[in-house]
Amino acid sequence: MRPISRAVLRPYVCPTCRHGITAGRRQFASKSDSPDLYDVVCVGGGPAGLGLLAALRASPITSKLKVALIETQDLRKAKAWDLEPNQFSNRCSSLTPSTVAFLRSIGAYDKLDVSRVQEYQDMQVWDGQTGSRISFDWSMETSPFEDMRTVATMTENANLVRALLRRIADSGDENLSLFSNSTVASIENGSDLKPDGPDLSAWPIVTVKPTGPAAETEPPKRIAARLLVGADGINSPVRTFADIPTQGWDYGRHGIVATLALAEPATAPFPASKRTAYQRFLPALGGPIALLPLPNNHATLVWSTTPEHAAYLKSLPTPAFLAMVNAAFRLDMTDLTYMMGMQSSSSDSTPSHQDELAWRVQHTPLPAQVPPPATGVQTGTVASFPLRFRHAAQYVSPRVALVGDAAHVIHPLAGQGLNLGQADVASLSKTIQYAVSHGMDIGDLLALERYSSERYLPNAKIGGACDLLHKMYNVPGEGPVAWARSLGLGVVDRLPFVKSFLMKNAEGY
Amino acid sequence: MASLRPRTLPLSVRALRSTIRSTRPSLNHFLSAPASAPSTQTHPTRAHSTSSVSADELSHFSSLASSWWDPMGPSRILHLMNPLRHEFIASCLAEGTPSPDPTSSTATLNYLDVGCGGGIFAESLARTIPLDPTAPAPTPTLAASMTAIDPSTDLIQMAREHARLDPTVDSHLRTGRFKYLNTTLEDVLAGNANTSTPASTPPNPSSEVKPTPPQYDIVTLFEVLEHIDPKTSTPLSFLTNCLRALKPGGWLIGSTISRTLPSFILNQVIAEAPWPIGVVPRGTHEWSKFVNPDEVKGWLQEGLMRAADTGVSKGGSAIAEGMRWKCVGAVYVPGIGWKMVPGSEDWGNYFWAVRKGV
Repeated sequence: MRPISRAVLRPYVCPTCRHGITAGRRQFASKSDSPDLYDVVCVGGGPAGLGLLAALRASPITSKLKVALIETQDLRKAKAWDLEPNQFSNRCSSLTPSTVAFLRSIGAYDKLDVSRVQEYQDMQVWDGQTGSRISFDWSMETSPFEDMRTVATMTENANLVRALLRRIADSGDENLSLFSNSTVASIENGSDLKPDGPDLSAWPIVTVKPTGPAAETEPPKRIAARLLVGADGINSPVRTFADIPTQGWDYGRHGIVATLALAEPATAPFPASKRTAYQRFLPALGGPIALLPLPNNHATLVWSTTPEHAAYLKSLPTPAFLAMVNAAFRLDMTDLTYMMGMQSSSSDSTPSHQDELAWRVQHTPLPAQVPPPATGVQTGTVASFPLRFRHAAQYVSPRVALVGDAAHVIHPLAGQGLNLGQADVASLSKTIQYAVSHGMDIGDLLALERYSSERYLPNAKIGGACDLLHKMYNVPGEGPVAWARSLGLGVVDRLPFVKSFLMKNAEGY
Repeated sequence: MASLRPRTLPLSVRALRSTIRSTRPSLNHFLSAPASAPSTQTHPTRAHSTSSVSADELSHFSSLASSWWDPMGPSRILHLMNPLRHEFIASCLAEGTPSPDPTSSTATLNYLDVGCGGGIFAESLARTIPLDPTAPAPTPTLAASMTAIDPSTDLIQMAREHARLDPTVDSHLRTGRFKYLNTTLEDVLAGNANTSTPASTPPNPSSEVKPTPPQYDIVTLFEVLEHIDPKTSTPLSFLTNCLRALKPGGWLIGSTISRTLPSFILNQVIAEAPWPIGVVPRGTHEWSKFVNPDEVKGWLQEGLMRAADTGVSKGGSAIAEGMRWKCVGAVYVPGIGWKMVPGSEDWGNYFWAVRKGV
């Protein structure tokens, strides 16, 4: 879709001037030597880009398309990625059932190392200010005699990337070029190869430059794309080339991640395979803290808070950091705010974070849903990243499509980011299949608009809902907002059909 | 006659208001020679009007040519309909093909698109021709070659220019598997146009007289019938000529609009209502020229018999009785798009197909 402003203007502008309006980009013709022609060139080898490639290779309709993928990192390393069974990467994602279904349908889910993947069947969410609580599970949809249905599946991103790479490798290397360790040096328009060749003046030509040691010996390659897919993240060069603006803001929050080891739960879960994810909103500290289960009593931490708190938490020694994490699930806002300002000192005269927590927790009534205490942090896994909201003005442009973070970046509080990217990729690959089977040019707007009309609103809806939750749970104190959100949460928790509707929405059913 | 197709389209009212006063072309376009080459108009059997393309029609096409391929332009609704044409053809071929081995998935069928205009359908079908002729066909349309004809020089020129934007289609143009010919159906039948077997020679404007008329597996006729001017031609003679171009077992496939009360309300009253309700410029459609499915069926029955006529024998009515006839309606819903709706033939747009007996 072109910008609405242009579409609206069009009828009012005379044909000669209209040309100037729509042809605002790509004015630079390039050298006339003919580039290699590809049907799909995907910039970015993250879960979205690799998912698209795997989906295209898996479908009999699109498996003959000539495809290329350009990735800055070393894909061979990503394919050989391995960790000790009890070590977990700190970059984890929760896959919704619809993402899992997509990954199964393209034959990639089987390539995951399942021993490193953890399903969970219950999710406890509560408000640290008011204590109001909601629990997400499928018990209202299933009978007590069935196995509990999975709410989501935790996996390390590296495990997923490796699975997708394995799936792509299984499809053979015919019509496939993986430009690993390579950057996009430039994207520009092609030129008319008259009289011996086609007119490529509307085709994007990507100049691929090897990085690292190969940069000296290997010359840059020029490849032409029938469809150029931007899976290249928040600062997408493809989006810049297509001149697509983005709207959005920075939340002024950082997400802290870490891989934690948990104590044995005080009461064994029932049924024994049941796992629970925990999320507590901390309005006074700027965002929620979440603990998502990994195998063998491990969990991944995502704590959204202000940059100052994030810097403070990262500076703490491990025992103090663990005390803060445990405190964040247990203590009330006043105690937590106090502990956030404590000097961390090794001297015996000042009380340590652990002592402070031990003393304060005796005087705090604990709700039933508190997670088991975190007992260890895996070395080197504490990290933080800024939280942002971005939404591209459009997802498609002639011969360009954006997927994943290049199109939208949302608040991580619902764990939807990667899932939206996979839904994009599922939709785009279906769009390409439809176009190929109906003789359409897969780079043509008429083909691509199916993708953007399918994905734009759902992404805006989920992104907007996360933004709204973030804002509601950032109002500290016992004011009307806190009262209203508690009432809302309580009502939703007691109305199974509303909750089930929300869960289905969140999980892409 | 795709040069006529925009007539069936909702046009962007304001953008095109200046162009719609021109008379829309009619079937005599097909039956007469292109304006630029009146000397080719020599077919001895042609008994219809020989009126040439009028100046305001030509200027009308020139003005449309620039927006023909604009996905947001006046031809948008037609672009959106194009995938349905592929699906309808696939549904016809599922019932039988003229190819010797019906189970084979090799691309073997030779297509003729009559009235290709800017090439919306012709180019999309040419894109499905495999670059390697021995490779399995990528789509159920099984196209091995496409010949697209239109009498408008401007539109053929524009179609050729647009085809160069796709390297695959461009390569088919170069090998001759895909051809745009600025000619009429009659000249194709007479062998006056270059209709040599596909893939043998590149398109060549010089007239190459062939002793036998060309034989195509599929002849397509999308959004053409409703533009026939009853004063200068008849749908019957035109359809008969289309059937003559077909191989035994081949399909003649088209789409048009029926002349019924719902179609009058939809196409004349609502679609051509003043802005902002209407999406079609006033005067785009001439409801009286629309044709109903049973009329098409009748003409085709008669046409099949006439097409079977040879110098020595007459085609009998048995040919018409055993005719395989398909017809399905298509409905455009704003915001959703085109959908095939069986039984909606009388509401407006519909697809039809007939198979020539083996």
